[in-house]
Amino acid sequence: MISRFQIASKNLLRKKSRTTLTLIGIMLSSWVLVSLLGFNRGYETALNRDIDNMGYQLMVMAKGCPYEAATMMLQGGAGLRYIEQTMVNSIAARPEVDKVTPILMQAFFDPDKGDGGGIAGYFGIDLATYPGMKPFFRFRQGGWFKNDTAAEAVMGYEAAELEQREVGDMIMVPEKNVPLKVVGILERTGTQDDGTIYVPLKTLQKISAIDKITTIGIKVKKDADITKLENSLYQLPDMQVVSFTQVKQTIMKLISTARMMVLSIAIIALLIAMIGVVNTILMSVMERIQEIGILKTMGAMPIDIFFLVWTETLILCSVGGIAGIGLAIVFARLSDILVRRILPYSPGGELVAIDIRLALLTLAVILGVGLLSGIYPAWKAGRVRPLDSIRSEG
Amino acid sequence: MTTDNGVSLEARGLTRVYCRGSEKINAIDGVSLTIRRGDFVSFTGPSGSGKTTLVNLLGCLENPSSGELDLAGRSIFGGGKILGEKALTRIRRDTFGYIFQNFYLIPTLTVRENVALPLAFYKKPGVDGEVDRLLGMLGMNHRMHHLPGQISGGEMQRVAIARALVNRPDILLADEPTGNLDTKRAREIGEVLTDLNRSAGLTIVMVTHNPDMARLGGRLIEMRDGQAFESG
Amino acid sequence: MNPGYPNRSISRILKQLMLLMVLMLPAVPTTTQAAVNCELNYPASDVARLFPESDNYKISYFSFARQGGEPLLRKVEARLGSVPALYAPLNVPYTLYEIYKGGKRIGYIHGVNQKGQYGVLEVFVSLDMKGMIKAFYIQRMAGQWVNKFTLPKFGKQFVGLTLRDFELYDPVSGKGSGKVAAMTNPAPLAVTDFYGLQRAVKKNLVLMDEFVYSTQKGKQ
Ligand SMILES: Nc1ncnc2c1ncn2[C@@H]1O[C@H](COP(=O)(O)OP(=O)(O)O)[C@@H](O)[C@H]1O
Ligand SMILES: [Mg+2]
Repeated sequence: MISRFQIASKNLLRKKSRTTLTLIGIMLSSWVLVSLLGFNRGYETALNRDIDNMGYQLMVMAKGCPYEAATMMLQGGAGLRYIEQTMVNSIAARPEVDKVTPILMQAFFDPDKGDGGGIAGYFGIDLATYPGMKPFFRFRQGGWFKNDTAAEAVMGYEAAELEQREVGDMIMVPEKNVPLKVVGILERTGTQDDGTIYVPLKTLQKISAIDKITTIGIKVKKDADITKLENSLYQLPDMQVVSFTQVKQTIMKLISTARMMVLSIAIIALLIAMIGVVNTILMSVMERIQEIGILKTMGAMPIDIFFLVWTETLILCSVGGIAGIGLAIVFARLSDILVRRILPYSPGGELVAIDIRLALLTLAVILGVGLLSGIYPAWKAGRVRPLDSIRSEG
Repeated sequence: MTTDNGVSLEARGLTRVYCRGSEKINAIDGVSLTIRRGDFVSFTGPSGSGKTTLVNLLGCLENPSSGELDLAGRSIFGGGKILGEKALTRIRRDTFGYIFQNFYLIPTLTVRENVALPLAFYKKPGVDGEVDRLLGMLGMNHRMHHLPGQISGGEMQRVAIARALVNRPDILLADEPTGNLDTKRAREIGEVLTDLNRSAGLTIVMVTHNPDMARLGGRLIEMRDGQAFESG
Repeated sequence: MNPGYPNRSISRILKQLMLLMVLMLPAVPTTTQAAVNCELNYPASDVARLFPESDNYKISYFSFARQGGEPLLRKVEARLGSVPALYAPLNVPYTLYEIYKGGKRIGYIHGVNQKGQYGVLEVFVSLDMKGMIKAFYIQRMAGQWVNKFTLPKFGKQFVGLTLRDFELYDPVSGKGSGKVAAMTNPAPLAVTDFYGLQRAVKKNLVLMDEFVYSTQKGKQ
């Protein structure tokens, strides 16, 4: 025969454009909501992974470095401040420190690289300590340098692809015109390491005629108090301490402010969508006063009418919600790109991670809010008296 | 079913007062009447004389201001008690079927679904084959998969009649059932109602402006200023 | 904020954030995982220089992935007589500059990446509608000898050549005859780059033949 569900769903088909608009509203707001919740989880995971991939938790650089590092990257190494290499040992002697590694970062300007020239980033690293900090590095070809003064280079995957280098090939350090032999090519990591060229520290020092370093990477002992170490390092004159744990906290704090804002937007969107639902259902109840009255003369109880109208809300919200969540999953990578544009710092990998649990949770929220907003129109419909229909016939 | 004294509805001193601002209107002013099972009662009278109000009271669609109403020997209204919506619904769905001048079919449902509609909410035992039986009896079989918008007014009223009868009511209340139909269709509906009364023994209470229709019933009651005058 | 460390000011945190951003700068290109293609750095002025009679150009792309796939790639490799390249050329989008004059197409500019001695070689040629080289241009090359190769004297040797000239010669083994075999290396130390340039142009012409000229013939 005919079920109440059919009556409700067929009624929604009566005003197709109105129903469609309402559906689109719910769809968009559930899209925003699930993407946001997905971002909530995905971003932190990705950030954690990025920071773990740094290999060290603390970095010491010469003071003023951040700004000059920025200019260095743009102008090709001019004005960079350096640290004495003796600093390495004094830091390594501290009780909280597990391992340290000295790094010399250099950037050379290559006028032929791309539109307007580009920067080639070289890392002078210590063969004895650096690889231990990056245990996750995998070689696509070859391996680390023969010794710590070799004229050799290990290339990140993308640096190698760009220059079409294979193990055994040569590269030329721009500006300095020093040839180096490629001995290893790393697998893609999805981080900044992919674009980097690694050279033995001493080799790079010789190439750039410097006997200092720019950075010390510090791996802290398990269970050691990072904050304490960080603060004592900060007492060193002219030193800049970068703590990835702290940077992470800072980023998370910034993100959480942004997140709150976007979340409130999502909630507003949800509310607007729900007002749309209330409006749509209420309008359709008002238009159907007589029909509802007739249903009552047929023996429908107020609660029957209530559930009939509530079912309409439920259908709208579940169809719109499922469609929105589906879209969010399909376009998750697109959301990634958008998010990357907005955020100050985006880790690699998936930023918007939507899984089945999250999808169900969002659907539950949509349905919950939807059902809540359906209560008023449904109650209103339940209270229609059969006589209202007959009297309004005039 | 009903107690077997043959009396279906008995009204004693029914009144219905409406307030319009400070003015009080006695829409029904002390009506007493008895309707027996199998009766076909027609109400006529000028507009505003209280026909609809009376039929609504008889059909338990609303409470009277005062007076008593018994349904099959059972007291429904009287003694100052006022029935709530649920109680009225329970009484109505067991006893009455209603048709109106406007047919109130649900435009999104087919003819057959419209007839079956009451069963989605309430189903008396043993009414399983009623939908198709009524569609056949009213000559609507060939139209059952059409939507209301695709059939004529006369056909729509037939569908409304089938819908009113699907739960096998004892009494059919019809408020100007042919008010929206031309003479020919009105006559056809009249025949359908007469036939239902004669062959199925259905009690019919009808309001009509149409003198031809009024004559169909065995009893004719004229309303004037909220009072009922039975002729003959 | 941590109340125990009042000196941990916002400015310090912002500094660190900036630093982190700087450190992450090289990560930006990693997010776009497209294979490396070969494009003109300053297309408007480059086109005007390489094709002076042009008044307009359009950019289009072709790739093995979209057209011909693995079999066509093998065929091209066979025509070049070289070993398969390391960096998956299947997905590389080849950028084709279609050159117009007065609404009529008069030729193409097309470049390819080729492995050179110290880095990638980015080599372009402009071609007329029959596939004859009209100009030769090295956009990127590393090494002290670069200016020897960018002299007009060297580039002129390619002008007027067609795919047929390159088919007489194998730039992998250096064997063969004809105009290509007769070219002189301006920098005897730069053997890899000298042959690399010839290989690049041959690869360029073969690709143009497979993707552009042969489909043109098909249409006529
Ligand atoms: N809900 C109402 N409120 C106020 N007055 C009403 C209402 N319903 C009916 N009336 C009045 O009661 C009288 C009887 O109306 P009704 O029963 O509809 O007459 P009929 O059906 O004979 O035309 C009329 O004067 C009408 O205006
Ligand atoms: Mg009336």
